[in-house]
Amino acid sequence: MTDHTADSVLRHEAIWRRIPGVVLILIAMVAWFAIGNPRFLSGDNLANLGLQASLLLMLALPMTLIILTAGLDLSVGALLGLCGVVIAALLVAGWSLIVAVGAALAVGLIIGLINGYLVSYLSLPAFVVTLGTLGISEGLALAISHGDPIGGFTPSIEAFYRSTAWGVPTPVIAAALFCGLLWLVLYRTRFGNYIFALGGNKEALHLAGVKANLVHMAVYVLCSLSVALSALLLLGRTNSAHPSVAVGMEFEAIAAVVLGGTSFEKGQGWLLGTVLGVLAITVLRNGLNVLSVEPSLQVLCVGLMLIVALLIDRGRKGEMAGAAG
Amino acid sequence: MTMGPAPAIDGRQAAPLLRLSNIKKSFPGVDALKSVSFEIRAEEVHVILGQNGAGKSSLIKVLCGAYLADGGEMEVEGRPVAIRGPADANALGIAVIYQEFSLVPYLDIAQNIFLGREGAFSKAGFIDKAAMHAAAREVLQQLGLAYDTNTYVHDLGVAHQQMVEIAKALSQNARILVMDEPTAAISERESDRLFEVIARLKQRGVAIVYISHRMKEIMALGDRITVMRDGAVVGSFLRGEATSGELVRLMIGRSLDGMTRRAPANAGACVLSADNLRTAKLQDISLDVRAGEVVGLAGLVGSGRTEVVRAIFGVDPLAGGHIHLNGAPFTLRPDASIRAGIALLPEDRKRQGLALPLTVGDNTVAASLWRLFRYFRFIPTTARQVCDDLIARLNIATRGPGQQVHDLSGGNQQKIVLGKWLAAGARLFLLDEPTRGVDVGAKAEIYRLIDGLAKDGAAVLVISSEFPELVHLCDRAYVMRDYAIVGHLDHGDLSEKAILDLAVHP
Repeated sequence: MTDHTADSVLRHEAIWRRIPGVVLILIAMVAWFAIGNPRFLSGDNLANLGLQASLLLMLALPMTLIILTAGLDLSVGALLGLCGVVIAALLVAGWSLIVAVGAALAVGLIIGLINGYLVSYLSLPAFVVTLGTLGISEGLALAISHGDPIGGFTPSIEAFYRSTAWGVPTPVIAAALFCGLLWLVLYRTRFGNYIFALGGNKEALHLAGVKANLVHMAVYVLCSLSVALSALLLLGRTNSAHPSVAVGMEFEAIAAVVLGGTSFEKGQGWLLGTVLGVLAITVLRNGLNVLSVEPSLQVLCVGLMLIVALLIDRGRKGEMAGAAG
Repeated sequence: MTMGPAPAIDGRQAAPLLRLSNIKKSFPGVDALKSVSFEIRAEEVHVILGQNGAGKSSLIKVLCGAYLADGGEMEVEGRPVAIRGPADANALGIAVIYQEFSLVPYLDIAQNIFLGREGAFSKAGFIDKAAMHAAAREVLQQLGLAYDTNTYVHDLGVAHQQMVEIAKALSQNARILVMDEPTAAISERESDRLFEVIARLKQRGVAIVYISHRMKEIMALGDRITVMRDGAVVGSFLRGEATSGELVRLMIGRSLDGMTRRAPANAGACVLSADNLRTAKLQDISLDVRAGEVVGLAGLVGSGRTEVVRAIFGVDPLAGGHIHLNGAPFTLRPDASIRAGIALLPEDRKRQGLALPLTVGDNTVAASLWRLFRYFRFIPTTARQVCDDLIARLNIATRGPGQQVHDLSGGNQQKIVLGKWLAAGARLFLLDEPTRGVDVGAKAEIYRLIDGLAKDGAAVLVISSEFPELVHLCDRAYVMRDYAIVGHLDHGDLSEKAILDLAVHP
């Protein structure tokens, strides 16, 4: 009765084909930059690299959950700027840090509820909905700050950003903890199962008696809340809040998720792949910095890397289909 | 015998486990269920038989809470109940094995089996994976399966996915288990195992609702058989009360009373000849159609008829075989097919055959635009003329070329699809269910049109599920079953019974 062993059931793939293109790119880049400038692997630069990666990680990890549900959140960059401005403005006005962060979380909650409600209950396209909240967030940030940077608030945020524990920058530890937490949620709780189900077969989730729309909305809320918290990292980095400093960060966050091998369809994806995607983008920008390449060319290179990674993965998938057929 | 309360056939059948009375469900433009009444009893396999679109799936969706009925009552063990959603159905012990799999590709087998019921394995908010996988293995064991429960469902073949779907329903300890064509995708050996499981479940007192159009299974499994057609129950039988022939006739339905058979044509040269066509699904299809001939492609829904015309038209890629058009080898691509004079009337007229929001005029020239351009300039007067000619020739009831196709009746829409291809100068017509969803009058008119096409020397291949229609219309017919041609009937041999005998599983 045991003729259905895993061997006969599985469509096997060779191990090397399962290594995502991003890993190959990452290894190649590290080698290239290390040879190009030995300073790339210095302790200082690695700490710097970790700091740069930690903010992107805070955005890209929840973005992974959203893309797993076959959705998208374009509002994260603008929302990050808005929350930064809210915290800074309240601190300058004399409120405590707790009140300021609470207000930023409330803003995140509202934007997340708008995104989630419209996408799940009303089945509006996530691309358009979050494009709308992108505009709203950016507009609010400009209105609150009158378009000017806000500075001169409590130095404790910058102190936190610059602090280290066991020689590791605290933001890196925070981002790592956040990553562990999301990993537990995604792979060890029913909420995590439902995220895969939302992207893979929402009807199945509904038929299983789960409040699929509620779960769907919760994913967007989770994303916006973590964006609100990430505003602290943004403020720490620049020690000022600029309304449009984070505009465009949604590009890097989405690019990191896609680089990591998460698909926009069927709920196929990998949380740790996103970590690799974040590292690839950060290493590229950092390395180009070390090699003194202009910032505008850096963005170009990130876009180029995204397409190259997709081509690598597609090319190898094509081989697989050829071998099977 | 004395008169008294209606006698039960035997003791246990006195109280149905579930009774549906006068269930109605309509969608815009369709009455999916027209007052359906239905009873399910414990320890019984109740088969529902019907063509696609007969209302079987709608009935099941009402039963499992996926659709809310527009009217009617439901009772469980004599108590009135309301099923407002899947959770209500689960609570009543109703589980469904869906035809379209309700599985999540990137969750593993255990996660899929217990989707929505993870609470049973929850420890402080986290899922106890070991317990969940052990429970999943236990359920699979009942089916005689030893899958690695860590496998993603995406990595399983269709047959194995079906078995997981069955395991998922089994794990719910359902009192009423609904199986929607469970054997459609699995091998005979796996089917046998499924039948063993069904027998075991019956002994445990589970009521089973079983949907299939495989007659062999139905006759073997069904304790009670209900036949549905066009959203209504047209007959209900206990085991042995009806032969498979009677059941199929009831399922397929109306005969074309009072219509005389079309006179056979004088066939001309061979227009289409297909040799050993193979695609992902089709096996070695060989057929030919001559000028002036109407040839039928008969078979039940899902026997592969549509796939044949799609392959000929060049929509689906060929894995092997050759097609000759007017004696010359032919490259298969939709644009080449159109220029070579092949016309395809798709099964789904509204989606694949017409651009509904566009006008009558736009639609009639859609396949012949290349004729209406001269030196990159569109010639509107020619287009207008083409359209006016067709409206007159096909007797299309429309206000004029400017009317939206959306507003026309089904029969007139179908005439426009035909007209589109006439305008393109087609000489070979592939007609997939040309009379589906049109009324009797329009039907007769479409028959006349097809007859006219053949008289003009065109070659016509007609697919239909209505066997009387094929007998009426065709000079000869090929019969399909399981994606292969299983027989050929000449004009003299062509009868409903002959088609049935070939089309239905022995």
